[in-house]
Amino acid sequence: MKRRAILAFTLDHPGVLNKISMLIRKKMYNVDTLTVCRSRIPGVSRMTITLRESDQDRVDQVVCQLEKFTEVISVKELDTDHSYWREVAIVKLEIEASVLETFHGRYNFEILEQKSDDIHILQVAGSTRRIDAFLDEVGQGHIVEIARTGVTAMEK
Amino acid sequence: MNGKQLLLKALKERKVRFLFGYTGGAIMPVFDEMEKMGAFEFVMARHEQGAAFMAQGLSRASLSTSTPQIGVCLSTSGPGAMNLVTGVADAHMDSVPMLAITGQVATGVIATDAFQESDVVGVMMPISKQTYMPLAAEDVEKTVHEACYVATTGRGGPVVIDLPKDIQNQQAGDDYRFDAKKFRPHLPGYFYTPTPERDPIRQAIELINKSERPLIFCGHGVINSNAGDLLQRFIEKVNIPVASTFHGISAIPADHPLHLGMMGMHGTVEANRAIMEADLLIALGMRFDDRVTGKLDEYAQNAAVIHVEIDASEIDKNVRTTVAINADVYRTLHVLMGDPMLTCTPRRRWWDKINSFREVMKEDLREEIEVGIGNDNKLLMKGIVHRLSAVTKGRDLVVADVGQHQMMCARFYNYQTNNSWFGSGGAGTMGCSLPMAIGVKLARPKERVWSISGDGGFQMNMQELGTIMEKQIDVKIIILNNGYLGMVRQWQTFFFDGRFAGTPMLSPDFGLISQAYGIPYRKVELLEDVVPAIEEAIACKGAMVLEFICDPSEVILPMIPAGGGFGDMMIRHPHAPKKDQTKQGEAA
Repeated sequence: MKRRAILAFTLDHPGVLNKISMLIRKKMYNVDTLTVCRSRIPGVSRMTITLRESDQDRVDQVVCQLEKFTEVISVKELDTDHSYWREVAIVKLEIEASVLETFHGRYNFEILEQKSDDIHILQVAGSTRRIDAFLDEVGQGHIVEIARTGVTAMEK
Repeated sequence: MNGKQLLLKALKERKVRFLFGYTGGAIMPVFDEMEKMGAFEFVMARHEQGAAFMAQGLSRASLSTSTPQIGVCLSTSGPGAMNLVTGVADAHMDSVPMLAITGQVATGVIATDAFQESDVVGVMMPISKQTYMPLAAEDVEKTVHEACYVATTGRGGPVVIDLPKDIQNQQAGDDYRFDAKKFRPHLPGYFYTPTPERDPIRQAIELINKSERPLIFCGHGVINSNAGDLLQRFIEKVNIPVASTFHGISAIPADHPLHLGMMGMHGTVEANRAIMEADLLIALGMRFDDRVTGKLDEYAQNAAVIHVEIDASEIDKNVRTTVAINADVYRTLHVLMGDPMLTCTPRRRWWDKINSFREVMKEDLREEIEVGIGNDNKLLMKGIVHRLSAVTKGRDLVVADVGQHQMMCARFYNYQTNNSWFGSGGAGTMGCSLPMAIGVKLARPKERVWSISGDGGFQMNMQELGTIMEKQIDVKIIILNNGYLGMVRQWQTFFFDGRFAGTPMLSPDFGLISQAYGIPYRKVELLEDVVPAIEEAIACKGAMVLEFICDPSEVILPMIPAGGGFGDMMIRHPHAPKKDQTKQGEAA
């Protein structure tokens, strides 16, 4: 199943998120990630929704029906080649400082806090795949807790 | 002024005359103010669902008059609002503009599970075009105007305003000013484009000119944009046959020589076969519902598709279009008509083919209608509808319920009056007819209105006889009683080996029921009494109930089985119906 990102600009009103998530549920999708933030324009929110669908027609339908909502100002699908998809993860690791050091330079992370000799809280930013790769390399055994924001995206 | 006054002031400014509804705790202030103002005609339904269908009837029937009105229904919070749900969802499916105003518990107790509290906005959101909950008296007037604007523009639909009780009573600030004339709703995300663009029009004309086997679809959008007359002139100009969707019926006269009747699951042979053979479909204001298309993979495989539709999200939803015109049907036809590039060709071979399709069931149907009786000498619905059509010359307004009789009404009444056919299409809500007919009659008081139901659907909202009695509404009511839920029975006959699970139905004495409501009644069992009974109802001043005892084994054909393609169209009864095991359901 292809991963899709849909970008929507919506009015910052109560219930808009509800309306959008209800449509996605009605269309029988499980939301992969959903992020909402303020946009450059006061009163307008920016929403990035990712879901999995291989059929382009079905994605076009979701876009069309989202666009129909009175509170939705514009919607489009962002394809991976022409946009940046990024997310941030906060990870608590039980790992030796020296081992962590070996990841430096290869992954974009920042140590937020070192709680003890081997407990570190870090912030990793990048594409979903990059963060997944980092976590894979660290190894499940070292991960105490993870919080990920979900994808936000922008056209090139 | 306070919230309730501003609400009613705005409705008045929107030229609302009728309010359909039912009072209760959370809407009492509005009712009280309505009584004080005396500016509205209040129609009390006996159940909120009835009020919603009355509002629908008013909206739909008044659409084609010089004074279109938006149907407004009012209910209290909680159960009152929840009883509106079916009517709102139905209006949403059928693109009917409507305003539903529900009282809500006071803002201070919202979300505390207060008495008669329901999350109306949450429930209504996916089944309405828009929902509002004004949280200050100053927002009420603006909300009503915006709601009416949203409901009636673009593709119509129901809009819900959930108004907390304290806001109804809240006083607007001293500096509150609102000018309805100058008001323009600020809706940056609301788009509709009534005027067609030049390029697709040009492409459409090219396709039409070179097509050998074109077919026009007349959808609900033709009625909604009041384009019936224009469509008739257009088809005559280009000599292209036209088939109607369920909601497109009555946009042009049913017996127009270029009209092939209704398409789809129970559509005519000529309409459905023409779709199979066509090389071009020109779809006007429709959404290619599954009852219209059957199996999509097999649908109109040889045809290019021009889709004219005001709702952009309907284009390419079910059927891939060749040329998409996202615009109002009337304006599109107007532009097409005026274009000198458009040619008219006789297309004799196409018409020969269509005329041969017309012969397929013609004799069988003619005979059935003429004989008019089926098993056990019971009446056939199609015969009754045909005779009603003949007596009324096809000029009356018909509000059908949902089921087998509805398809009979769609097929065998010879509609001559523009926008004279009403019912529940997309949602298929049984029980819609009686209340909807009340709204239709109030919108078009000078025309005769027939509410036609089966025995099942009639009993779903027969409490609205109370409204008819109280308001002395002149609706002629026909019950086609076959002792079964006829459409389901037909499916059981065809696909479930004739096991009639949950379809036989013992009805009350409709004569006594009518008598209780003071409405004249006549029961008809013999063919020779059909026409005199219809004439009696016509002569009767005010409402009258006619009950016809019908043959339960009658079927509506052709039929495309659910999920089947047009190639699977059944034009004959697949096997003789089994002898009924369950006799208790036979009409009393």
